Amino acid sequence: MRRPIQARPRDAQAVGRSRHGAGTTWEVRTFVVVAALICAVFLLVVLYLSQATAVATGGYETQRLERVRDELRRQNALLEVESARLDSPARIEAEAKRLGLVRAASISVVQAEPIAAKR
Amino acid sequence: MTEGISPTRLRVLFALFATATLLLSLRVGYWQTIGRAALLEGATDQLRSELVLEAQRGVIRDRSGRVLATTVDLRSLYAIPKRIPEQDRPAAAAKLAPLLATPAPTILAALNSGAEWLYLKRRLPELVARAVEALAIPGLGFEPEPKRLYPNDALAAQVLGFVNDDGLGQYGVEGMYDKILRGLPGRLTVERDPKDRELAVGLRTAVPPRNGADLVLTIDLEVQTAAERVLRAAIEKEKAPSGSIIVLDPRDGAILALASWPTFDPARVAVADPEALRNRAVSWTFEPGSTMKAVTIAAGIDKHVVTPATTYEDKGCTVIGGRRLCNAQGKSYGTTSVTQILERSANAGAVFVASRLGQDPLYQYLRAFGFGVATGVDLVAEATGAVRPLAEWYPVDVGTVAYGQGIAVTPLQLAMAYAAIANGGTLYKPYVVAATRDADGEHRTAPTVVRSPITADTADMLRTMLTSTVDKGISHGASLAGYSVAGKTGTAQIPSADGRYVDDAYISSFAGFAPANDPRFVAVVVIERPQSKLLGTITAMSAFHDLAIDVLRNARIQPDRP
Repeated sequence: MRRPIQARPRDAQAVGRSRHGAGTTWEVRTFVVVAALICAVFLLVVLYLSQATAVATGGYETQRLERVRDELRRQNALLEVESARLDSPARIEAEAKRLGLVRAASISVVQAEPIAAKR
Repeated sequence: MTEGISPTRLRVLFALFATATLLLSLRVGYWQTIGRAALLEGATDQLRSELVLEAQRGVIRDRSGRVLATTVDLRSLYAIPKRIPEQDRPAAAAKLAPLLATPAPTILAALNSGAEWLYLKRRLPELVARAVEALAIPGLGFEPEPKRLYPNDALAAQVLGFVNDDGLGQYGVEGMYDKILRGLPGRLTVERDPKDRELAVGLRTAVPPRNGADLVLTIDLEVQTAAERVLRAAIEKEKAPSGSIIVLDPRDGAILALASWPTFDPARVAVADPEALRNRAVSWTFEPGSTMKAVTIAAGIDKHVVTPATTYEDKGCTVIGGRRLCNAQGKSYGTTSVTQILERSANAGAVFVASRLGQDPLYQYLRAFGFGVATGVDLVAEATGAVRPLAEWYPVDVGTVAYGQGIAVTPLQLAMAYAAIANGGTLYKPYVVAATRDADGEHRTAPTVVRSPITADTADMLRTMLTSTVDKGISHGASLAGYSVAGKTGTAQIPSADGRYVDDAYISSFAGFAPANDPRFVAVVVIERPQSKLLGTITAMSAFHDLAIDVLRNARIQPDRP
């Protein structure tokens, strides 16, 4: 004998579905919000760390470049000294003597005034 | 279980814990309040380090901007011996020995000394530092240290002076201008990690150093080189112990060259003879002898007691103050004009002019020409010379001083007096620093007029007379082809400690300028105790002659004679 289907009370069904659906939504929403927050915090941390790393790397690079600059300045100063040493009249005289050169006995000077007067 | 513990014990225990808690709380409270600053300072000290940023010492240049002295960081080689395996040390020492010019056993002993850190050699030449670096020996490292370098070696050593190991300038302009050359050190505060590395994103505050000012000297490198060359040649020829040459521009008192013998290498002061450090052109005095006759005659003409054409009867000797003063070798010249006094270098003639002039005016003119007082040149340890106060003069002094005895001058004072004759009667203050250059720009030294000891007319007459002295007279050895030269020789005796003169020893000198018609330089050559005795003036004139050729060529001065 088939038992007639007993209709469930409307209210009970409505109440039961609504309670179950609302709970799921809240949990999902909470999960999503928390997950989003975690992701956001994670991203922010990653961003901060990457920025901090970039700054640190930049700082070390700056220090390296400063060292390179200082060394180049030092080398430049050494080259200036070497240039001055090579340019020294005493050294050039000594070198000229070593090469067998002698000082000019006399130097002919062209007087500017007579030439200018002729023009 | 607890029934066995007596309440008294519990109370005592509680009291102990309570007391301990209270004490700890008080201690914590103390560190959080009163002791906070000390804790913070301790923590900061561990993290931060303060460095002194040394200021760069200023560069010294010649008048054309060429470097005479500069400071460069050279690398000092240090070792941390424990990082060099013991068995490798002999090999390391053997490799380093030829490069460091130090015996291998000495290096090995240093490495085995037990020191944790030590210098093996300081301030290495760059090529040597690179060669050591190429050896790649573990445990060795370099540290930069400033070193004062003089690219022209010993050139102008007495003008430049030197810098000692403490970085302080000594002698010359290094000493005189030390404060402005040195600059002011700065300060750098940085945070460091436990491995003592500077934190890239840490605190970094800096007070930058103020670098020392650069000096531009009046010294001309070419003229200085020529002066030192001819002085050395004269010294070698005469086997003289010392000498000096000073060259200056009579138009403003700028010193173009200043050579002094014996000399030293500023880079190796430790091995220098102390006497070599003395700048004889500035810090040494001598009796000038006959070069002083030009000053006496200038005074006589300026005071209108004689003219170049005034004559007297030269009998070889003259008596003044009860003393007989004679010409060199007792020569008598007969009727002699004032111009001929210079041409013949007649002592009796100088006495004649001084007698007409009188003690007081002669003394006043000597002071007006700058004798007996420091010129004020910007070099350390300038001597004042000696002109005794008039109250201390004996009657004979008016005669002896007239030809340069009984008076002591520096070569620089003599050069300045001749410069006053050369430039038309103006005595300038000599100077060696033409300009200073700092962050604010260039500050040039303005020539300083001290006074005018004689009129332009007197100076003009003296120039003519001194030119005649070179053309026709005793100073002919200084004449130059194509140029007019004015000048006067001087041979002076050397006073000894007992107040007499040293036998058979002289100081030879020549003071002159060229071209005589428009003087561009004045030079004084002094040779002490020349081997050729009285003939030392020939060497002095020859030195002037050789120097003048270089100076005139270098300055591109056109000949004023056919």
